[in-house]
Amino acid sequence: MERIRNFSIIAHIDHGKSTLADRLLEHTGAVERRLMKDQVLDSMDLERERGITIKLNAIRLAYQAVDGLEYELNLIDTPGHVDFTYEVSRSLEACEGALLIVDASQGVEAQTISNLFLAVNAGLEIVPVINKIDLPAAEPERRRDEICELMGIDPDDVLLVSAKTGEGVKAVLEAIIARIPPPRGDPEAPLRALIFDSLYDKYRGAVPFVRVVDGSLRRGQRIGFGAGKAEYEVGEVGYMRLGYKPTGVLHTGEVGYLTAQIKKISDTKVGDTLLDADDRATELLPGYQEAQPVVFAGMYPSDSDQFEELRDALERLQLNDASLHYEPETSQALGFGFRCGFLGLLHMEIVQERLEREFDLDLVTTIPNVEYRVTLTNGESVRVENPSRMPERGRIETIAEPFVHVHIVSPAEYIGGIQALCHDRRGEYTTLQYLDSNRVEMRYDIPLAEIVLDFYDRLKSISRGYAALDYELAGYRVSDLVKLDILLNGDPVDALSVIVHRDESYEYGRKIASKLKELIPRQLFEVAIQAAIGKDVIARTSVKAMRKNVTAKCYGGDITRKRKLLEKQKEGKRRMKLVGSVEIPQEAFLAVLQVGD
Amino acid sequence: MSGAQPPRPRGVYVHVPFCARRCHYCDFSVARARHLPIGDYLAALEEDLRQWFSGPDDACPVPIDTLFIGGGTPSLLGVDGMAALSDLLRTRFSWDADRVEWTAEANPNSLSVEVAVGWRKLGVNRLSLGVQSFQAEPLDWLGRLHDPREAEQAVRTAIRAGFDRLNVDLIFGLPADVRRSWSQDVERAVELGVSHISSYGLTAEPRTPLGRWVDVGRVRMPGDGRYADEYLEASAILVAAGFEHYEVSNYARPGHASRHNWLYWDGSEYLGVGPSAHSYLDGERIWNVFGWDRYLQAAVEGRSVREGRERLEPDQRRLERVWLDLRTTRGLDPADVTGPVAQARLAAWRAEGWVTDDARPRLAPAGWLRLDALAAEVAEWSDGGQSSGIGSRD
Repeated sequence: MERIRNFSIIAHIDHGKSTLADRLLEHTGAVERRLMKDQVLDSMDLERERGITIKLNAIRLAYQAVDGLEYELNLIDTPGHVDFTYEVSRSLEACEGALLIVDASQGVEAQTISNLFLAVNAGLEIVPVINKIDLPAAEPERRRDEICELMGIDPDDVLLVSAKTGEGVKAVLEAIIARIPPPRGDPEAPLRALIFDSLYDKYRGAVPFVRVVDGSLRRGQRIGFGAGKAEYEVGEVGYMRLGYKPTGVLHTGEVGYLTAQIKKISDTKVGDTLLDADDRATELLPGYQEAQPVVFAGMYPSDSDQFEELRDALERLQLNDASLHYEPETSQALGFGFRCGFLGLLHMEIVQERLEREFDLDLVTTIPNVEYRVTLTNGESVRVENPSRMPERGRIETIAEPFVHVHIVSPAEYIGGIQALCHDRRGEYTTLQYLDSNRVEMRYDIPLAEIVLDFYDRLKSISRGYAALDYELAGYRVSDLVKLDILLNGDPVDALSVIVHRDESYEYGRKIASKLKELIPRQLFEVAIQAAIGKDVIARTSVKAMRKNVTAKCYGGDITRKRKLLEKQKEGKRRMKLVGSVEIPQEAFLAVLQVGD
Repeated sequence: MSGAQPPRPRGVYVHVPFCARRCHYCDFSVARARHLPIGDYLAALEEDLRQWFSGPDDACPVPIDTLFIGGGTPSLLGVDGMAALSDLLRTRFSWDADRVEWTAEANPNSLSVEVAVGWRKLGVNRLSLGVQSFQAEPLDWLGRLHDPREAEQAVRTAIRAGFDRLNVDLIFGLPADVRRSWSQDVERAVELGVSHISSYGLTAEPRTPLGRWVDVGRVRMPGDGRYADEYLEASAILVAAGFEHYEVSNYARPGHASRHNWLYWDGSEYLGVGPSAHSYLDGERIWNVFGWDRYLQAAVEGRSVREGRERLEPDQRRLERVWLDLRTTRGLDPADVTGPVAQARLAAWRAEGWVTDDARPRLAPAGWLRLDALAAEVAEWSDGGQSSGIGSRD
């Protein structure tokens, strides 16, 4: 155990995390440099073909240190996006230390800070590394001061590295040995192992990745879970190094995988404790939470004939993504589909893209929303994931919505614009702190619903792309919210209902109505567009009816050419949703997202 | 064609692809020629006909009901050219001089008295004049060769030569800045005594001078409102004058509807010869090489002058049928409107006065203005178009 080091690499996006990881692999002889690129890619292609995830969840390196001893280094990957904060925290929980990478030209960013906090909270030893010192724009000294300021440490503890050229990589490996403590744990105690990741392999079933905290995990052992009843017999245990390396056993402090013909990835929940089924430890590892979706949207097949295909595709996606929630839902406007719950916006985009690309589905996705907690006048409380299901106004006592702590790191020149944006989005100012003479970290509490729309895009455009954003959930707060309905020719279109703050509802209603006017093409009948709160119409406009739709030329019996034009017109109708007597193009269902334009 | 069965069309169309000048809006198969190359043309048609009748059992001539000589400018054939063409056609087809509807198109400026009288003697009994307008500014703007006087003169000449079945084409929906009174043109045609009027809205087709002018902003096409107003205006004037508005673009005094054009609309078989000519035979749509030069070359070298053919899928056939049925007073076959969605749409159109109800729902003029959308809707929203047997009536 003394010669095991478990660590992860944390960094803001593009600060060089994967390049440094590659370099560590190469320096420890896990792969030859000359072959590296090809080998890594080959392995990825192969894995892709076999339908499993391509990330290296945890890779074991063997390192011959300058003290002459060989060490076992386990590099544990973290998802590295705000949507997956809980998963990141579980991965960090499996480590004793972390390399904190900061780009020598860009400096500390929003994700640097939020990841650092997670690592410090997990009690990890932090080894700060300034990367990309080879770049012409590198300012290593300035970055070093910044990090020392942030962490309150000695400048000598900060390593300077170029993962690209390899400079300083050896020093990183030595620092891992010298500064990160070896794991602690009781080899004699009953098995307790932390599941920090899990993937689905077509042939092996669900493959959990674990850190053995106490005891050991062996082939043939019967295992159980802290959070579930299922039991399995371990088929294989081992570690990863560009592929599965079976070892038959994982000892206390070690990191690796196991297979046990586990059918469902939902049996292997991240954060759960893996136990010996015949000798269950009395106390579970702390901190397990069920992954909770925070962003919801309806997903409907454009072509209603594809409903079954969509259901099968969601089922298959869920096999390797236990955090994807879905349940059948019916919309008057969109027909049969699913209300899906996601960990965040990125997660939603990933799922949407996979459904469309891997399963060749054409989807209509409704405006994403958060989950509201509604207290009714009779004291009952309900959770509302779909705006159209909001109870009537008269029955509502209060509506609470989720807030997030937002931190934004930006060049100081954009402070004004960002403050205005946050204020506009009902943000509550918390702090503003200068990281150095021209960069600031700003903190706000903002309703998640405001982030879910186009906050990130707006932030990027205000700051010319320089500002970085991170956030974490900050609980529910009561807000003065109302349901805004959109009526077309007098009929409410359920998929277009949104929940907005009362103060913004009028402006919002006007903007949505005029956006819909742009998006809904002229049709045979006039289309009246109204925005309403309850029975009060707060905005109205209309799409005038077309007065003609005919080109009646048809000379010399050329029916074919005309038929082809009609087929196109007919095809166009297929891409519309017929709601009552109104044809609505699919873009219109996301009109609310464009209201800020 | 398989060759096993000779074609048995009810009507024949002959395309004469020559004009002295191409009009600004025209995208038909037309070659510029001051004098029609009659020798090449008839030789090419002869080869075209030979390719239709190549089967061993293809006994000729085949009896037909209608013959339509269109273009282009058939009047460039003159009398001798038409006589030669008639002789050639008689090698393959036969018609009864008293019963046939034999239409020829003519341009007002090339319809001399000699041509009108000569054609009538040959047996041509229906004339269609490309008048477009009786007013100077629109004629000039459209790039037509004739002026108002020649237009009226041509109508009088035709009537004096004995063409009691006489059509004029009138074009509407010109840009607002072209000085033109549409109602005066329609009324003038009635006053002059024509028995049939085809009235088409101007369209800016790509690859025409007009299309390019619209693209570069030199011409602004009128909005839907002007088009709709003029369309309804013509219908009102002509119906009041005793014409029947029997097809989206066609009006006739009782008994004067074009029998040949009906073949296109009611699913009858027809055979076309000449460049770009279309045929519908044995459930197949077939079309010829478009341009005169390529058509001639293929014919001279004995290669096929056919450019394409298609057999329709049931849902394509249904779409065509719905659209064609809606074009005329014949109206929809109720069997083509199936399912609650299509029924509801039809009810909504009825409420708007777009559909008048006989046993077969048919369009009123206001409905014809929306013909394309209505046809696409019936075809799209009717269920079972692809799957049930309803679509396979014929």
